[in-house]
Amino acid sequence: MTHVATALLSLGGFALLFLAMARHQQDWLRRKLPDQQSRRLRQAGFALLSIAFLIAGLGLGWGYGSVAWFGWLSAGAVTIVTLNCNRERILTWVRP
Amino acid sequence: MKASLRQTMSTLHTWTGLLPGWLLFVIFLFGTVAFFQQEISQWMRPELTPAPVSAKAIETADAILRKDGAGADDWTLSLPGSRGGEGFSISWTPAGGDRSSQQERMLDATSGDLTSVRDTRGGFFLYRMHFDLHYMPVMWARLLVSLAALAMLVAILSGVVTHKKIFTDFFLLRFGKGQRSWLDAHNVTAVLALPFYLMITYTGLVTLLFTLMPWAISANFPSTDAYYEAAFPSGPKSEPSETNAVLRPIPELLQRARTLRPGFEPSYVSISHPGNAAAIVRIWPRTETLGGHQPMLYLNGATGEPLAGPRESGAATATKGVMIDLHAGRYANPALRWLYFLSGVGGTIMVGSGLVLWTVKRRAKLPDPARPHFGFRLVERLNIGVIAGASAGIAVYFLANRLLDPAIAKRADWEVNALFIAWGAIFVWSLGRPARRAWVETLAACALLYAAIPLVNAATTPRGLPASVMAGDAIFILFDLMMILTATGFAFAARKVATHQSKAKARSRTRQPKQDFQEVPA
Repeated sequence: MTHVATALLSLGGFALLFLAMARHQQDWLRRKLPDQQSRRLRQAGFALLSIAFLIAGLGLGWGYGSVAWFGWLSAGAVTIVTLNCNRERILTWVRP
Repeated sequence: MKASLRQTMSTLHTWTGLLPGWLLFVIFLFGTVAFFQQEISQWMRPELTPAPVSAKAIETADAILRKDGAGADDWTLSLPGSRGGEGFSISWTPAGGDRSSQQERMLDATSGDLTSVRDTRGGFFLYRMHFDLHYMPVMWARLLVSLAALAMLVAILSGVVTHKKIFTDFFLLRFGKGQRSWLDAHNVTAVLALPFYLMITYTGLVTLLFTLMPWAISANFPSTDAYYEAAFPSGPKSEPSETNAVLRPIPELLQRARTLRPGFEPSYVSISHPGNAAAIVRIWPRTETLGGHQPMLYLNGATGEPLAGPRESGAATATKGVMIDLHAGRYANPALRWLYFLSGVGGTIMVGSGLVLWTVKRRAKLPDPARPHFGFRLVERLNIGVIAGASAGIAVYFLANRLLDPAIAKRADWEVNALFIAWGAIFVWSLGRPARRAWVETLAACALLYAAIPLVNAATTPRGLPASVMAGDAIFILFDLMMILTATGFAFAARKVATHQSKAKARSRTRQPKQDFQEVPA
């Protein structure tokens, strides 16, 4: 359970950090978000990653939990990179 | 003219990455695979069914040791852990005999019946290859591995400085853009698991601490033995006395250990001078927690009373222990173990893509791309021979485990030889082919070899994929699936290289043969 929560929060955190970047906003949303909004996305992203760390630490012990947290961070970021590589396919699927 | 810091670091990164690069690739590849060494051993010993050692099996072991091992200098019992891969084995050295006369028996963990298992080194070889290499003295191998790891640490740190857009390009991976794509792949795999690489490289150096820094011992101790005696004092020693005394039953001794220390899980038992009044029973605990080192337990064999163990080592040793635990990941549960494995795969790709990037970057600048200079050709050939060769070798190691005649002498050694024969064959084959063709063919060979493993497994054991699914045998199911996945990965890579070549050809047909690679600011 702790692993699932840490994984999802890491994935969500990186998704927000990803969307906080102008280049990716252009690619995915076809427009740039105002700076204010980007900043909020970035803050929310870092907040999710921090919560993931707390959950991993409390659920698995701080030593074990921090190793697992780093692992899920990598896994989350790799998922975002993979999704971004398949942008065309996903966008045609979402908006036919 | 003074170069900028970033340029200096870039040069440092290039050479500390390239020169030990092929060794680093091997270390990363085998180390990554070794995270699953127990599971691989389980697959390579299909005769075993993992089960906790039953009381009955221990009673049988006790009886065999008393009957066949009577008068022996020492007895040992090796109890398998829950991850499988090892059998319940007992051994004894007959009186006056040396190591070569040691007798060993394998028992079924549940029934206690004598069983036999094919002669293989299993996943343990892949683990040892990670730092001991093969066909060379261990100390030399470890020195090479330590130096490569040092270079790796330098390459990681200088790489971070070299990478100009570590945050802007964090998620960026663009395919089909030649050099840019290789740089992206190298950057993404490097950045996304950076904490893991720093941890694994640093703690890896810690495991080989005294290979790299023997002077810490020689400056403070008269000999290495003196250091080990001071750092890890040996426990009570026994000289056989004149009096004989019957050894307490082994099940009782193990029960005693569990009562003395709740939660104690024995992994290995050694009994010196069984049958003598001075018999000592040493019991090693199974510790699979992060930094959860537990001292050994010593019992008097004749009475079952506990004996005082040596003084426990201090904080420095404990710190080193935690670092080694972090490196080996034995404490990790399946979820975390997979994360270790994925990060390791990332590291293997990082090293591999870095090696390829070196050639891709320079190919554009070659005065005559058809006839590159010697250094370029050397790197290109080593890349193919090591990246595809080592990968194919591991596949052949698994295949040899299933296909070699169980009766041949030194079977376990021949499995290992098969790995290197295949590796050498791939290397030699690739030398005789144009570079692109060599890549396509060797990667395709890897794909075929890995794809053959589940088939050969199904043909030679009753534990093929359908049977494993029916039996719910997770290790065998996942092993077969991982082989199929690996085969798909290699097939994908081979296809990519093949189609890339046709594009380049198409381009050179329509345009001047001038190179159209974009020069990317380093």
